[in-house]
Amino acid sequence: MARALMLAAAIGLLIPPQVLAQAPAVPLNPLAPSNLAKPRPKPPFDLTGTWFIDMAGSQNSWRFGPPPTANKMTPETLKHFEASQKAQKEGKAYRDDIGQCWPAGLPLIMTRVWPVAMIQLPTAIYMVSHFMNSLRIVYLDGRPHSDPDVVVRTFNGESIGKWEGDTLVVDTMHFVNDHHWIDAGIPATDALHIVERLRLLKGGAVLEIEYTLTDPKSWEGEMKWTKRWNRVDDQEVTEVTCTPDLNSHIPSTQSEFQAR
Amino acid sequence: MKSALLCIAVVLASTIVSAHHSSAGIDRTKSVELVGTIKQFSWTNPHSWMEVEVPDQKGGTVVWKVEMTSPAYLVRAGWKSTTVKTGDEVKVTVRPLRDGSPGGLFVSVLLADGRSFTERPIATTPPASPNP
Repeated sequence: MARALMLAAAIGLLIPPQVLAQAPAVPLNPLAPSNLAKPRPKPPFDLTGTWFIDMAGSQNSWRFGPPPTANKMTPETLKHFEASQKAQKEGKAYRDDIGQCWPAGLPLIMTRVWPVAMIQLPTAIYMVSHFMNSLRIVYLDGRPHSDPDVVVRTFNGESIGKWEGDTLVVDTMHFVNDHHWIDAGIPATDALHIVERLRLLKGGAVLEIEYTLTDPKSWEGEMKWTKRWNRVDDQEVTEVTCTPDLNSHIPSTQSEFQAR
Repeated sequence: MKSALLCIAVVLASTIVSAHHSSAGIDRTKSVELVGTIKQFSWTNPHSWMEVEVPDQKGGTVVWKVEMTSPAYLVRAGWKSTTVKTGDEVKVTVRPLRDGSPGGLFVSVLLADGRSFTERPIATTPPASPNP
């Protein structure tokens, strides 16, 4: 009996105790009644409505480019950019992934010359672009950014918003690493970080966002842009999908006009 | 209306942003007038499109694929899903593809009953921007 107990003890020393994986704390979702009911300061404005990029000043005001010369491109980005310039001279589109049904991603999805519907709750702002119904959620419920080893990277990234006086500051990261472009020939990488400062102007008729973009894997320093949207009450955001047969009817998307 | 008529005219280019795709393959300095019949018209998002069957010089026909904007904008320009139908005789003006293949970006259509349609809004309060 004593030998059996000694043997069992010896085996016990050899086999480490089983360690159960610890499940991380999962935050309440923004629509959870108990999350919505938490006491919070009254927000300075409500973005609920439909917004359209203001192009009165320039037909190119939707673009996040061309890149300022102050931002030195990485060798890889420079290669893309020069190929894009060459393609443009040849009447071709360089890596027009959006035309091939890849998501536009942030920041372009905000200015894609389609209306964007926004629904603001105390806990989050839900944004749906009419363009391919791309969904973007800006969390306002106080959560931090997700663990980078857990988060599922996306084209619109993970957006966390905080109120600073009359401004909503939105910090977005955790982007995908491919098929995502800031502008023609300027790739976004998984190091892209976007800070947006949102203000409502003209009695709530105009939304202004100051953009600060950094992506050390694509360019050095910050790129800054300021964009404006007009509230459009007479435009609807409805179902739009990039179906597999779409491009067979859209000849300019065909391969002879595409440079890869 | 039955005969082939392809008139190429140099016009001033206008910059229009792209929606679902780049329009780099479109030659915006030219316009082509197609006289033919509607083979198919699709009233759909993100783009409507039409196919126009145009008689060629050899006694056959060539099908032109014509890209259009979304129905949300076409409605503001007076369009309905029934504005053109398969078999309608039409005169369609397009900005052609750069490589000369039969396709282009829609500019306007003239119907047999004399009505014409573009993609430009006819409302007194137009939307923020025309959207191809």
